Amino acid sequence: MNDVGLVQVRGLSKTFGDLNVLADLDLCVGRRDFLGLVGPNGSGKSTLLRILVGLHRRTRGDCAVFGLDPEREPIAVRSRLSYLPGETSVYREMTGAQFLEFAVAFHAHVDATRTRRLTELFALPMRQRVRAYSAGMKQKLAVLAALAVDAELYLLDEPDRALDATMRMELRGILREMWKQGATFVLSSHHLEELRDLASRLQFLRSGRWIADAELRVAEAALRQRARVRLTNDAPPQGARIVRRCGDGSWIIECDGDPLAWIAAQQSGATLAFEAGDPRLDDLYELLYLPQQPAEPSA
Amino acid sequence: MIAQKTFRELRVMALVYACLLLLLELPVILLWPEVYDDLKKSALLRNIGFDFLQRIGSGITDRSEDVAYRNWLAVMLYFRSVNLLGIAASVLLGTALFARERETQTMEFLLSRPVSRASILWQKFWPTAVCVTLPIFVMNTASIFVSRAIEMEAPFWPLQLANLHGCLFALMILAFTTFVSVKCRTQAHVAFWVGGIVVLQIGVYLVPRWRWSSLFRLSDFDWYGPILAGNVELPQMFLPTEGPANSLWTLLGAALFYYLAWRALRDLEP
Repeated sequence: MNDVGLVQVRGLSKTFGDLNVLADLDLCVGRRDFLGLVGPNGSGKSTLLRILVGLHRRTRGDCAVFGLDPEREPIAVRSRLSYLPGETSVYREMTGAQFLEFAVAFHAHVDATRTRRLTELFALPMRQRVRAYSAGMKQKLAVLAALAVDAELYLLDEPDRALDATMRMELRGILREMWKQGATFVLSSHHLEELRDLASRLQFLRSGRWIADAELRVAEAALRQRARVRLTNDAPPQGARIVRRCGDGSWIIECDGDPLAWIAAQQSGATLAFEAGDPRLDDLYELLYLPQQPAEPSA
Repeated sequence: MIAQKTFRELRVMALVYACLLLLLELPVILLWPEVYDDLKKSALLRNIGFDFLQRIGSGITDRSEDVAYRNWLAVMLYFRSVNLLGIAASVLLGTALFARERETQTMEFLLSRPVSRASILWQKFWPTAVCVTLPIFVMNTASIFVSRAIEMEAPFWPLQLANLHGCLFALMILAFTTFVSVKCRTQAHVAFWVGGIVVLQIGVYLVPRWRWSSLFRLSDFDWYGPILAGNVELPQMFLPTEGPANSLWTLLGAALFYYLAWRALRDLEP
């Protein structure tokens, strides 16, 4: 494999016993890419990242990070990247400061300015033992340790898990800033709209395979035909194909014609919100991953 | 860094273990004159059913008090303290080495650092080995000075040879525990397996016909007694041509279990 991209994966497969976790994956991540990995739990995102770090051995296929095989030269690969595991990994018996010192000591380059900034931003009690931290604080510490390292490539497995909305927004700002400064990211997250906002491109994993571009285009085209209408009435709206009723009481409908005309023709209830046009990533996710209920016929 | 972290985690337990060794040693030595007088009068140990206990009995009631005292040290400082406390320390300290990393979900973090797994194993193993073996050397060597209080002499060089063997035996158990710790997901599982195997080995040791197959055959009175009596020198401990060479087999056992631990860690997918 040549060294065109920081990460090059070809025909990658991984099985655990009889279970196919990854099947025939191709991937190329170039310098200054920000790749967002999308997929439900068990789709293979974490396994892919672990293979890139050299924690898992691949069953078949080729994999190169910085042009090196992470299985054969894991130390050379890991010394140039920073990896945040999917499960919050911090030592409970250490203080926050001790953990940070321990985590970055393995790496040759640490960005002191960024470390200081992140420490202030996260406002962690660094002298307190980690065992006294909340789940969100532990995750902040793990993220801090991963981002403090001055690496060429950041592999972050759900960095925003257990973080509140404010902190996720702050984290997004920091990642965007690092990306603009030249860092490369491969990041998985379940906060889809935030991921779309951040990533330069998205890859969708389903049962260990990429979802093909053609299927994505079809799904996006289908979603463009849909309108999300929030009505006050409890009764199903008439005169449109009802795709689904959401938990917040809103209805997702498909109109053959103009959705605005359909809203104007509604005689009961009040329209509180209306969305159409570019599909939301949440809706795309639902269409791609959740079993679709048959649409109710229009009245 | 990993070694430093391991030391930090173990230092309190290692200190407690060293104190326990000393606490067990002091009465054993200081009460020796009364014990010797009582033992001489008692025929119990010489008539007990187990053959190895009969040998211990005749050893510590030898007519020469100097010989009896050396046998007493072999029984109490090594056959008892090293085999009980040394093993307990090896199991307790070794259990946590990797199983706790898995329990606390830090294994993935540790293994994803830019450091080889062989280095991770070594940096966790050697501080633990020091915590297990150093107290054996220090506390048992202290018996030389404590013995002066009862006007007895504990032989320096034979004590060091016995310490060396005791440490090798503790290291073998530590290496075995480390191997099991890499394989198991929880500390409770490690304790169960290692504890179970140790108890099984003790049971095997008590059956004369099977004793040859027990690991405790490598570290019993029949080995420490001649060492402390000054009848076994360093080459005899390691050269099969010179004698039973129990220290060599113990060393090889430790190396084998360490190798198995390294292989298990190398192949581990967290």
